[in-house]
Amino acid sequence: MSANLVALAVVHVLMALAMPILLVGVVNRTKARWGGRTGPVLLQSGWDLLRLLRKQPVYSLVATPLFRAGAYVVLLASALGALIAPMLGAYAPLHFAHDFVLFAYTLGLARLFLMLSALDVGSAFEGMGAAREASFSAFAEPALFLLIGCLGIATGQTSFALLVGKLHASPVFAWLVVPVVAVLFILLQSEASRVPVDDPLTHLELTMVHEVMVLDHSGPELAAMQFAGSLKLSTYAGLIAALLNPFSPLDEPVAATIAALLLMGAVAVAIGCVESLTARLRLRRVPRYLLLASLLASLCLAAASAWGR
Amino acid sequence: MGTLIAAVLVLLLGAAACLLPLPNRLRAGIGILSQCVATGLVGAMVAPVLVGGEVLVGELAWAYPVGTLRVRLDALGAFFLAWSLPMTLLGSVYARGYLQPYLGTQRHVGVHYALLNMVSLSFVLVYAGDHALIFLLGWEIAALSAWLLVIWDYTNQKVRFAGFNYLVSTHIGLMFLVAAVMILYTHAGAWDLGSFGAWLQRNPGSERNAVFLLLLTGFGLKSAFFPFHSWLPRAHAAAPAHVSALMSGVIHKAGLYALVRFVWLTGTPDEWMGWLLIAFSACSALVGALYTVGQRDLKRLLGYSSTENVGIAGIGFGIGCLGMSWNNPTLVAIGFAGGLMHVLNHAFFKCLLFYAAGSVYQVTHTVDIERLGGLARRMPWTAAGFLVGGIAISALPPFNGFVSEFTLYSGLFSGQDLPAGAQVALCAVGALLAFVGAVSALSITRAFGIAFLGTPRDPAVHAKAEASQWMQVPMALHALGVVLLGVFPALGLLMVQRAVGIALGQLPGGAQAASVGVLGDLAATVSRIGLLAGTLLLAVLVVWVLRAWVGRISPAARSATWGCGYAAVNARMQYTGASFSSDFGRRFDGILVRVQRQKAPEGYFPADAWLVTDCVDAVERRLFDVIRHGDASASAISRQFREDDPRFAFAAGLVALVVIAGLVLLAGGPLQ
Repeated sequence: MSANLVALAVVHVLMALAMPILLVGVVNRTKARWGGRTGPVLLQSGWDLLRLLRKQPVYSLVATPLFRAGAYVVLLASALGALIAPMLGAYAPLHFAHDFVLFAYTLGLARLFLMLSALDVGSAFEGMGAAREASFSAFAEPALFLLIGCLGIATGQTSFALLVGKLHASPVFAWLVVPVVAVLFILLQSEASRVPVDDPLTHLELTMVHEVMVLDHSGPELAAMQFAGSLKLSTYAGLIAALLNPFSPLDEPVAATIAALLLMGAVAVAIGCVESLTARLRLRRVPRYLLLASLLASLCLAAASAWGR
Repeated sequence: MGTLIAAVLVLLLGAAACLLPLPNRLRAGIGILSQCVATGLVGAMVAPVLVGGEVLVGELAWAYPVGTLRVRLDALGAFFLAWSLPMTLLGSVYARGYLQPYLGTQRHVGVHYALLNMVSLSFVLVYAGDHALIFLLGWEIAALSAWLLVIWDYTNQKVRFAGFNYLVSTHIGLMFLVAAVMILYTHAGAWDLGSFGAWLQRNPGSERNAVFLLLLTGFGLKSAFFPFHSWLPRAHAAAPAHVSALMSGVIHKAGLYALVRFVWLTGTPDEWMGWLLIAFSACSALVGALYTVGQRDLKRLLGYSSTENVGIAGIGFGIGCLGMSWNNPTLVAIGFAGGLMHVLNHAFFKCLLFYAAGSVYQVTHTVDIERLGGLARRMPWTAAGFLVGGIAISALPPFNGFVSEFTLYSGLFSGQDLPAGAQVALCAVGALLAFVGAVSALSITRAFGIAFLGTPRDPAVHAKAEASQWMQVPMALHALGVVLLGVFPALGLLMVQRAVGIALGQLPGGAQAASVGVLGDLAATVSRIGLLAGTLLLAVLVVWVLRAWVGRISPAARSATWGCGYAAVNARMQYTGASFSSDFGRRFDGILVRVQRQKAPEGYFPADAWLVTDCVDAVERRLFDVIRHGDASASAISRQFREDDPRFAFAAGLVALVVIAGLVLLAGGPLQ
């Protein structure tokens, strides 16, 4: 049993390391297909990271030591978040009662240092990106907690892995699954800076959110920031996969792993399709889109409390 | 009892000696020394009670009508005393540096130190007094000394106004408190809190409810809950930094102490009391957090965040109250332990932040973030202190703010079988708390990012070096506390667990049996959090050191910040505090009232032009509006109704009929 758990932990960590690169590849390939191109190889972002790691960084004249440290705080905090979030189903390497609070707040810590690194160089563009990030994340934050409240009522669990992974057992799974996945998908778009909240391919500093905050990062620090960003993407994709995964990772580890990989791939394809078919929202509309997630989550919460107990 | 009287006498003697005609430096020394001695005495008395010793009781005969003066120090009072006096001592040490420019002048610094001693004295009276009059005396001493401390810079009219505003508010609170004590005394026939409690436990009903509401208002005014907060940002902006720190972090915690004390005196509070407390506190947390977003005065911003944080602690007490009404030991333990730990944690990080703001003021002579910038290079220690406090106040790991909020979340999402509506309501409060956390992260990013990072915005502001050592030492100690309580949260829990035990002991027999392992579980949970926080902290440090080591081998190049190809970038083009918050603040227009004063460029060769954006307190504005023009606005509203309009007459008649019918039905009178 314990060997099984160790193997699961290893698989989880390996997936947390590999999936950020693969998923970004899948998203980009999907977008390229919609555009009639073949697109870059799946591991392209991995090669990009290696290239960045070899480069010598250039820091802004204004930057303080916080600038360099910030990138690694972002990376480590995102990594801690990825260890708490389930990916394979009802399992996460770190799990204890109410660990979802630690998940949300470590991602908050990552965000704080991302914004501070942006403000550290004293550029108006980066300040603008930080202000947007701060405001969007404030609107997105309640949705996650409302969603967890809903899952808590439906499953009676308190740890993140079981909340997400055990929804299958709930009698309301059939009709709760669609809105819950929708909320998680909106949160993914907001946290991982994807269309329609933010466009990773936008070409103008004035319209960027995430990309503008790392404008002055270079070399290994840029690699840390980029990987942390993709890690958030794969963490949320993993949450959706764990919610939908029909296999229990403790009983059928191989099937659960394969299903998780396929589901995460499917989420990445969905992200790519959304990005190809829709434009990003006007910045003023974004909070409304994020409030939609909160609204959906509170409806789920009310419904779960009425019928799911 | 003897030690307590000794501590009081030492403080009084110290205060008296501070007033003697001596050099200012000596007065300051006497003040700090007497505080040290009193802290030691009180600490020796408090420590055994905190770790599970007996409740200390003492009596002193006094003349009629006061009767016997009873002193009773239990674990709750001991918890508050344990950190209030040491923090006041640190505040006095900080004052030595903050008032440095006055030490050589004719200004009587001794009065300031004497007042700081009186503040410490008031803590002893409030937290150990079992006699209602001792309690009220301590309460009033704290209020008056805080007022006199606030108006240190009394030659400034704005400061006098802020002080007066505070004085009036705190006395309105006192009136509510006195009214409640009068009701309680009439019924209990005695002055001690135990007799009050005996009456409260026996007589649930409208009079107890009235007492609860009166007390809630009084304590709400003391602790600056929304909507009773409007005096607070003014007072905190006007006072010297250490006074703001002590008021926000320590003195106003007396309101929360008294709230918990009286809630426990009721035995089993009604369910609505818990819900009211949660709603009231959630409003405070939300509005306080929103107000921090728009402030440009660093100390005003921190003042609003006090309103936010007492709200967060209040949510914990509300959960505890609900637990007491539902006989649910888990909720009692989580709610009160979380709330009390948040009180302690807030004292640590709020004082730290105010001290950092005071250092900024001392060096630059301004706390207007729009004029600051790039301070982190010139004042690295102050910047580090502010950052640590800022992370803690945003409740982010790995510091202490996270631990108490985690505990509160575990109460809100307890996963227990609660009534359906209650579960949804608690989840909604949890979502609101998450929003509040994100908003306070926003405003602390804004404050730190604008004031400490980037480049100096105003050439008139000079920051040459760090503030004095007298100010850095208290700051460092507070920062140490913030980190230690974050990494070893069991320490914080250890301080509150005896106090929480009092509440658990009040539960009926069956629930009490279930409460045995509750505190142990909580300790295990927070220790795990601390372990993870410590690991994260250590990992960051290791990576940082490794990166610095690698960087030493191949030093990085330095170049100008990317300006999108624009070469003539200057410091005024940086993002400002107002622009940082405008996108978010625009969505809360009703609460965050932005005012702009500007001088537009005129003519063909405009000389100068400026724009000032600030955020005013909507509550205070409306309050003053009602006081000043209330009669006028009432008659303006009444003028809109035309009595000769038949539709209006008909509608009024209909409303009157419905109201009369409703009253008759409710009274169950002649119809039956």
